[in-house]
Amino acid sequence: MASRSKFLDPGLILTVVLVIYAAFVFIWWPTDIYWLGISLVGWLMFVGLFFWFGLGIIYALWIERIEGKNDS
Amino acid sequence: MQVTESVILLVYLLAMTLFGIYFYKRARQSENDYFTAGQSINTFVGAFAIFAAVASSSSLMGAVGSGVALGVPYFFTYAFGVIAILPFSMFLVSGQIRRAGVKTLPEFFKQRFGNSVQMVAAGIVVVGMTFYMVPQLTASGLIGSHVLGINYTTAVIVLGLGFTLYAALGGMWAITYTDLIQGAVMLIGIVVLALFILVDHNGFVALINDALAVDPAFGDVTQPWMSYFGLFIAFLWFGIISPSVVMRNFASRDARTARRSAMWACLIYLILFLAGFMVTSAGASMGIVDSLANKDMIFVSVIEQYLPPILGGIMLAGLMAAIMSSADAMLLAISAGIAHDIYKEHINPKATERFVTGLGLAVMIIASIVGIIIAIDPPGLIAIMVGWVGGFLLSGFGFPIVLGLWWKRANTTGALAGMLGGVIVFLILVVGQWLPTNAEPIIAAPVSLLLLIIVSLMTEPPSKAVQDQVDYYHTHLHE
Repeated sequence: MASRSKFLDPGLILTVVLVIYAAFVFIWWPTDIYWLGISLVGWLMFVGLFFWFGLGIIYALWIERIEGKNDS
Repeated sequence: MQVTESVILLVYLLAMTLFGIYFYKRARQSENDYFTAGQSINTFVGAFAIFAAVASSSSLMGAVGSGVALGVPYFFTYAFGVIAILPFSMFLVSGQIRRAGVKTLPEFFKQRFGNSVQMVAAGIVVVGMTFYMVPQLTASGLIGSHVLGINYTTAVIVLGLGFTLYAALGGMWAITYTDLIQGAVMLIGIVVLALFILVDHNGFVALINDALAVDPAFGDVTQPWMSYFGLFIAFLWFGIISPSVVMRNFASRDARTARRSAMWACLIYLILFLAGFMVTSAGASMGIVDSLANKDMIFVSVIEQYLPPILGGIMLAGLMAAIMSSADAMLLAISAGIAHDIYKEHINPKATERFVTGLGLAVMIIASIVGIIIAIDPPGLIAIMVGWVGGFLLSGFGFPIVLGLWWKRANTTGALAGMLGGVIVFLILVVGQWLPTNAEPIIAAPVSLLLLIIVSLMTEPPSKAVQDQVDYYHTHLHE
């Protein structure tokens, strides 16, 4: 049984990534920059939707890989 | 009365009710089956089931209504939080809670923190989920009154009782399987609507320009920063703190299936919100939102404007389905909270399963009556009411769940202080109205976190057995 720190849990690492992107959007908060008439705040969030799904895929595959290694 | 729409809606609801009755007998086989569908749901069904449980009426009607009323960045904030729900809860709690082997959130609290925390948690679930019925009932009342040509109050009462009957008959089996249908109808419906809109406006850029021509503030951030941030965190945490979503997680066959289901549900959700963006823009381009008695009706107006009556009827049935599945998952959470977590655990452990299930039914009926009474005069936009529920649950047990799973030192006294402190601060802020709408958890959740940490450190650490249990939650990674 290999010991693995909780801090190396893919879930925790990806949570940090998620928080960094959310913090980037909410700290920068570019309300007065526009593209196609919509505030950049909206577009940053729009991009974030795809980013979240991407993180979800990475997590599912990452954990399956860890489980695969443990099984073998 | 809209005849075509009415017929489709009624046929649809009837079919779903028959479905519910069919699963009734299977549901009564055991309490385990009733609450979590016997833990035998596969990836495909599971993805739609998780999606449909998270996608409450507010996902469609509320997000679109708020985006048209408050500007499209508000809609995106909603989506930004909501689409993160499933990844975020997978990252932090899903695997560990599954490992814990519990059926409901309060049951987890009992395992980790003991009886007192379980009782408080069950109480918070019941209050939060009962209030969560209100936006569902509001949305169904709006659709029902429009389609059937009856007044709003009657529609709320009739549909509210209908939902209860349905949830009461089938339990999680019926809900999970009909969710496959409801999720699909909702998804296909909104994608078809978005395509009709795009064709009608000659493409995406033209659609946005049409919306901006009618409402120049459509692309603006119109509310204080705190409202957006508060809404975002309330939704982000929803998968962790919402008992109905957590219960769906347990219905999957195994952990791998649960993760894959959540991943695909996230994609379904993403598609839903992309289509929702088109619907929001179309709603703004109609320029009628200020003339509506209830701004959340704009979604129905868009359907009527862009879709032929038959497709419109199917779409409304899909909306109603979304509402029904969410409302039913909530009713089950309420009934599990009282019948299972409070009555059977603490009051009469010898109660028969049949009696516990029966008590669950009685609780559902009471909860829906309370919800119906509040929904007759709803206190806000759907999106805002849902934001309150998310904020309330986050402030109450967001951190007790996460730290309970991740931090051995968190103890019972700390969890109690964090839960009660967070909930009380949240309620004071809502009543006091000092902050922008939905900003309450920005203060209340950190208060809960601080109380939990400080009180835990000031009191005795948990027993060795409990600390070992915390290590056990994480063994899915090193076995």
